[in-house]
Amino acid sequence: MRKADLFVSLLFLFVGTIVLVDSVRLGFKWGMAGPESGFFPFYLAVGMILCAILVLLNVAAQYRKEGADRRLIPKGALKPILWVLIPATAMVALTELVGLHLAAALYLAFYMRAVGQTRWVATILVSLLVPLSLYIAFDKLFLVPLPQGLWGARLIPF
Amino acid sequence: MAGDFQNLMMGLGIALQPYNITVAIIGLVLGIIVGVLPGLGGANGVAILIPVVVTMPATTGVILLSSIYWGALYGGSITSILFNIPGEPWSVATTFDGYPMAKGGRPGKALVLSFLAHGFGAVLGVVMLTFFAPIIAEFALKFGPAEIFAVMMLTFSAFVGLGGTSPLKTMASILFGFILAAVGMDIVSGQLRMTFGIVDLMGGFNFIVAVIGLFGLGEIFLTVEEGLNLEGISAKVGLKDIREGMREILRYPKALIMGSIIGCWMGLKPGGATPASFMAYGFCKQSYSNKSEFGKGASAGIIAPEAAAHGAGTSATLPMITLGIPGSPTMAVIMGGLMIFGLQPGPMLFKEHADFVWGLIASCWIGNFLGFFLVLAFAPIFAAVLKIRFAIIMPIIVYVCAIGAYAVNNRMIDVYYMLIFGVLGYLFKKLNYPIAPMVLALVLGDMAEQAMRQALIIGHGSPLIFFQPPLALPIMVAALIIFFWPLVSPAIRKLRATPTQASVKTS
Repeated sequence: MRKADLFVSLLFLFVGTIVLVDSVRLGFKWGMAGPESGFFPFYLAVGMILCAILVLLNVAAQYRKEGADRRLIPKGALKPILWVLIPATAMVALTELVGLHLAAALYLAFYMRAVGQTRWVATILVSLLVPLSLYIAFDKLFLVPLPQGLWGARLIPF
Repeated sequence: MAGDFQNLMMGLGIALQPYNITVAIIGLVLGIIVGVLPGLGGANGVAILIPVVVTMPATTGVILLSSIYWGALYGGSITSILFNIPGEPWSVATTFDGYPMAKGGRPGKALVLSFLAHGFGAVLGVVMLTFFAPIIAEFALKFGPAEIFAVMMLTFSAFVGLGGTSPLKTMASILFGFILAAVGMDIVSGQLRMTFGIVDLMGGFNFIVAVIGLFGLGEIFLTVEEGLNLEGISAKVGLKDIREGMREILRYPKALIMGSIIGCWMGLKPGGATPASFMAYGFCKQSYSNKSEFGKGASAGIIAPEAAAHGAGTSATLPMITLGIPGSPTMAVIMGGLMIFGLQPGPMLFKEHADFVWGLIASCWIGNFLGFFLVLAFAPIFAAVLKIRFAIIMPIIVYVCAIGAYAVNNRMIDVYYMLIFGVLGYLFKKLNYPIAPMVLALVLGDMAEQAMRQALIIGHGSPLIFFQPPLALPIMVAALIIFFWPLVSPAIRKLRATPTQASVKTS
């Protein structure tokens, strides 16, 4: 896990640096009528960089003494996690094309079938009923417009 | 005092309207379900419904949101006891003794004990809320920008100094949250900050999206990592269990009272129900003579953390409405919802929107009261929700989260952010970067910056403005002490240890 720790503190170091650069651009001193725009972010960034370096040093010291410690993702756990993440990302990307509810229906069906090995009947029932009820609840009852995508409006004419 | 009683009656009048009661019950049911399901936590569940709630009048909307929280507080215990899976982070301590008691053949009793403890903690929390809220609000009216900023610093230094996890990592979390809050347009100068020419970043990061990602998806990744075996103990809560539970709880008044007090105290400091439940469990274990029974189904081991968790949850409302400082992550989300309604939490809320505030307080009474009966009567039904195959529930949760993320601002980019926050949430949880202060910083970020700016302008650029008596100085001093506590307390211990070591050597 130490490698991941190092990675995250490097990430924070990176974030702190780009915020620092931007706040210098905005100006971080006392302006005409109060602190300039970059004042608050500047000190945030300074603090962030300090913390990141200190954590980095701590982790590096422990790494040298004790090695890499446990794995970040336990053995065999990476697959289920990716099975959640990648189809979910695909669903979000698909939403831009066909709209959320349709993409969700496909996502539900895919996951239930591929990972859960659910029977076809249950799979089809759930992946049709759940998006339908959520569509009625959110789009019609609560009037919260959910994405329809490029082709969604034509595929589902209601 | 009498005036407050009148106010409470007025509030009850509002809260008891049929529309509001219906909404409260819906919220409670949703909350219990949310509490039972992993991945849809209290904070997350509330966040998803905020875009829906804005269509309602403010009082009703906040009643719905807070009822979800009360429901989730009750519901998290159900899966802890029956499945050994905490439905909420604050129910982890319940698994220590709740599940063994259930496995030992007394699941009904465990459930009843837990709900009774919840109820007691809730009552204490709401009583505190009712009586102290007006007093603190009066006091807080004297707060200027410097004091507001000082209170926020106190809040965050409590996380750093007393949080229990690495202070450096807590600091980094908090700063990261503030930085995320700062991205986008600066209100005062109109300049774009940290957008680097990317149009999508102009809108900044919305805390609802962050909460759904960090708490929701992150939680799902963690759950999936541990495998999907949800073998539960089925339980019915019969009258016999209820009678037994009531008798049993009277045998452990110390656990009940200590738990509730610890809970209410922890709810005032931000951190909320989760640290409260652990602290109560730890304290209780230390103070009872039958320590070895803890972990095997001791009644006190259920009573203390549950009372604490619920006490913390309800008392978290107090600093939120009086000072604008949410006492728990879920309360932070509820506060965000308030701000969306245009209600600025803080002392002015009592003056300008008394009906709203007292309606909310009254609904805390009613919601927790109703919730107790709901959960007692229907616990097995709620537990059955988890019997549905995880492979079916999980994608539905992701789907609902995506709806919540999109509905905030009708932007697809928010849904992508949700995914990114989900991965970050998983990483942070595994690497011990606390997420609660990050979310708090994201919610309070703009307010904190504004307070700091105003204070500095009043003080003509001198940071000494924050150390002015009579109000700002003690708060800042307390904040600094708590902030440096991790450095101070081991030093104190060393000082005390050396003389005794020397005396041992000589004898």
